[in-house]
Amino acid sequence: MGSLSDVSETLVADIDGLVLFSPSSGHHQQFGSLDDTPVVVVATENPFDAERFVELPLEFDDVQDRIRYGLEGAMEHGFVEEGDVVACSAATFGDDPDTPDTLVRIRVDEGMRSGVYALFAESRADPSVISDVFEVAIELGKKGQKGKPVGALFTVGDAGKVMNKSRPLSYNPFEKSHVHVGDPIVNVMLKEFSRLDGAFVISDSGKIVSAYRYLEPSAEGVDIPKGLGARHMAGGAITRDTNATAIVLSESDGLVRAFKGGGLILELDPEDY
Amino acid sequence: MYQVTSDAVRRVLTGVSTRLWLAGVVFVAGVVVAVSLGRLTAGALRRLGAPGVVEGTAFDRTTRRFDTTAVGIVSRIVTYGSVVVAGFAALSVAGTRAATQFWTSVAEFLPSVFVALLILLVGLIVGDKVELVVAERLKGVKLPQTGVIPTTIKYSVFYVAVLVALSQVGVQTLSLVVLLAAYVVAVVVVGVVAFHTLLTSAAAGVYLLLNQPYVIGDQVRIAGHRGIVQEVDLLVTHVESDSEEYILPNALVFREGVVRVRT
Repeated sequence: MGSLSDVSETLVADIDGLVLFSPSSGHHQQFGSLDDTPVVVVATENPFDAERFVELPLEFDDVQDRIRYGLEGAMEHGFVEEGDVVACSAATFGDDPDTPDTLVRIRVDEGMRSGVYALFAESRADPSVISDVFEVAIELGKKGQKGKPVGALFTVGDAGKVMNKSRPLSYNPFEKSHVHVGDPIVNVMLKEFSRLDGAFVISDSGKIVSAYRYLEPSAEGVDIPKGLGARHMAGGAITRDTNATAIVLSESDGLVRAFKGGGLILELDPEDY
Repeated sequence: MYQVTSDAVRRVLTGVSTRLWLAGVVFVAGVVVAVSLGRLTAGALRRLGAPGVVEGTAFDRTTRRFDTTAVGIVSRIVTYGSVVVAGFAALSVAGTRAATQFWTSVAEFLPSVFVALLILLVGLIVGDKVELVVAERLKGVKLPQTGVIPTTIKYSVFYVAVLVALSQVGVQTLSLVVLLAAYVVAVVVVGVVAFHTLLTSAAAGVYLLLNQPYVIGDQVRIAGHRGIVQEVDLLVTHVESDSEEYILPNALVFREGVVRVRT
């Protein structure tokens, strides 16, 4: 006969590490330093100066994405190794981090590397620029243009090459401007310009180089799921030809997808944010 | 004989009492004016948003420990200063022997002491505030050594405030001013020498950003480095060829010129 506490004990038995997702200060104080188990903190910021810390660029609403990202980051930093068994404590329902309601036991292996962490941390562009573009795309996907769903294609980073692999569809509205993603006015501007059917080109540092670009990559050997349209194909293909990251908002199903190296890396539903 | 003495007594009594009366009235009026002046100052400071400006400074925290605020202290200094001035006015009206040369000079000296106190206070608050603002700005720069900069600025402001306050009181501050000048010159010289390249690059960068002779995506050759422009910012231009990325200071762009390659 087992008792109730055995349920949690089997989850944390013989673990090699504990991963806390966005812990509150009380939670961190309680579990932040265990005697024999290394503790990794995964959060959007590091207010307690945790020794092992992975920064979350986005508040992934999907816990699976969040855990995958956190573990990939921890692997990258060498906090955990392949074959380690770790316990992750996170909040699945409700945003209150004071009450982590989920304990997940996971075995870390290389197969978990989906590239979500590399998408942010190892892209040419700054991680903050990529997460800014994600936020803009999510915002655009939620609200749409005058209530109608809208599609958009952003290429982030390696702007020089992208510009050379594309041509203008018309005059560039961002010519001689110094607008950066993350500026307060940008959401409104991009919403207006998303009416123009073309790609936004954003540089490594977040400057919006151009809108209204027609991307001309060679689409050979691009592996994206069947059923996605020309916009996704163009976005996926440009990331294979250049070192850019493409973030695409679908007009038909409203999802935000990120491509890198010619492959689909991440899929987010704006309605969840 | 009796007549003469009583007359003299009456004369003295009436003379003194009117003067005392007058002095009393002057003093009471002075106190009323002082209190309302203090209130007025506090109100004006509050309306100007002084509590918000002061908030978070070390001075604010100290005043809080004494159960008052910076605004309260300033208005209290104004009140007490005015009361003391009123007291001297009353004394001089009363015409007592006490209001001699010494006291008149004290009375003339006191206002400048109060002004000096006020200047010192404002200096303390401004110094604290500047430290906070600069520290906030530097927060993005994740370098522990930058912690020196806000402190240096704070003490520079304190120093200037003390100087101004001392000269207000009439202390010889020439040597201190010379010290300050030497300090400023040192900072400027070090700044110019250390930041020479940065400054010229920034000046060139302003032109490049405003006029955009080349933009991201252009093929260019700068000082023998040929490639695609990836980024233009205030200080440097990133040019990337197939295998290498050149990060060129904008000063170099200006000195050597740019070749735009037509394709």
